[in-house]
Amino acid sequence: MRFQLKEYDNEAVVFDTASGDTHLLAPLTLTVFNTVARNPGLSGTDLQSSVATQLALSTNTQLPAMVDDALDRLHQIGLLSTR
Amino acid sequence: MKLLQMSASDLRQQLAGAGIWMRTGPFSLRIRSRIPSVAEGLVDLYGQFEVRNAREAFADFHVSLDAPSLLRRWFRPQVDFRFDDQLPFKPLPYDQAYPMLEWGLNWCVSMHAHQYLIIHAAVIEKNGCAAILPAPPGSGKSTLTAGLVLSGWRLLSDELTLIDRTTGMIQPLPRPVSLKNQSIPVIQAFSADAFINRPSHDTAKGTVAHMRPPKESVRRQHEPAQPAWVIFPQWQAHATAELTPRSRAQTMMFLAQNAFNYSHLGADGFRVATRLIDQVSCYDFRYSQLDEAVAVFDQLADVSPDSRLRYA
Repeated sequence: MRFQLKEYDNEAVVFDTASGDTHLLAPLTLTVFNTVARNPGLSGTDLQSSVATQLALSTNTQLPAMVDDALDRLHQIGLLSTR
Repeated sequence: MKLLQMSASDLRQQLAGAGIWMRTGPFSLRIRSRIPSVAEGLVDLYGQFEVRNAREAFADFHVSLDAPSLLRRWFRPQVDFRFDDQLPFKPLPYDQAYPMLEWGLNWCVSMHAHQYLIIHAAVIEKNGCAAILPAPPGSGKSTLTAGLVLSGWRLLSDELTLIDRTTGMIQPLPRPVSLKNQSIPVIQAFSADAFINRPSHDTAKGTVAHMRPPKESVRRQHEPAQPAWVIFPQWQAHATAELTPRSRAQTMMFLAQNAFNYSHLGADGFRVATRLIDQVSCYDFRYSQLDEAVAVFDQLADVSPDSRLRYA
């Protein structure tokens, strides 16, 4: 397995055995990752709605951009290989 | 025998010849030097440590300090630190020979002792629980460490926290505590029991001196300790001493970034670091008065295990 993930409270640290890098996943990024991992094929709107519910956020105008940023970050790390 | 049982002349003679063998924590050293301030520093600070004839015992690290050339003994005199007859550093001014020995020994451990995850942090223990104090320079880490060990805490290390990769326990390495600049008079004023050696001035870190480790810490230098807290100290003028919880994930990242060999250990470094974080509570700590800081740490160590959970 390429990634080792350890969750602490609402954050996580991830070790990439391929690169040797360690990454910190902030609460929103971790929530996005867990939601996508548990619900492959989820639409963008449903993902935003689920993240908002889990983190008790309002689905305001900033949330789509924040979720997109989190997806980009997970993609850069390699934790998500497709979007 | 202990170093303090050697006469000063015997020590100087052995240092100038085959060297002396000395044990510090899990490591054995062979030290050679003809420089009087090196002998003086060892007498002042390592009296309680075990020494042997260097010809009779295996040593993990072979180090020497001497002038680079005959010329450099007289003209702008300098000192070289050698490790296995190699020169890992550029020479320093001759009167910085003793701090160079301490810095060189830290380098030997941090570059070679990969049986441990080595974090750049002080670590102290009380009532069986160890507090790891990582912090950038200027945070007051060494001052706080010195104040705590002068107040009954056991010194495990001032600079290098050694996490045993097999057991997760902290291996003591109770060498002298490095004090810089204003920390020196602060600790002298804090306790009459503090023995601080002759300062070296104009080093890369300013004025540097070392505090002798407590006798009890040296006596227990082979007794590992259970990690209980990671605490980030920050001296701040007029601050009331206070602990505030901090993110465990962010603490883990800081420790990884400030470990000497985390990358070298690969996935095992991650395993050891995350297991450590599983075992500890993490805090930021601000203080201005050393006696108040000691009181907060004592309270933390004195609470029962059940009460300790409430701090988490």
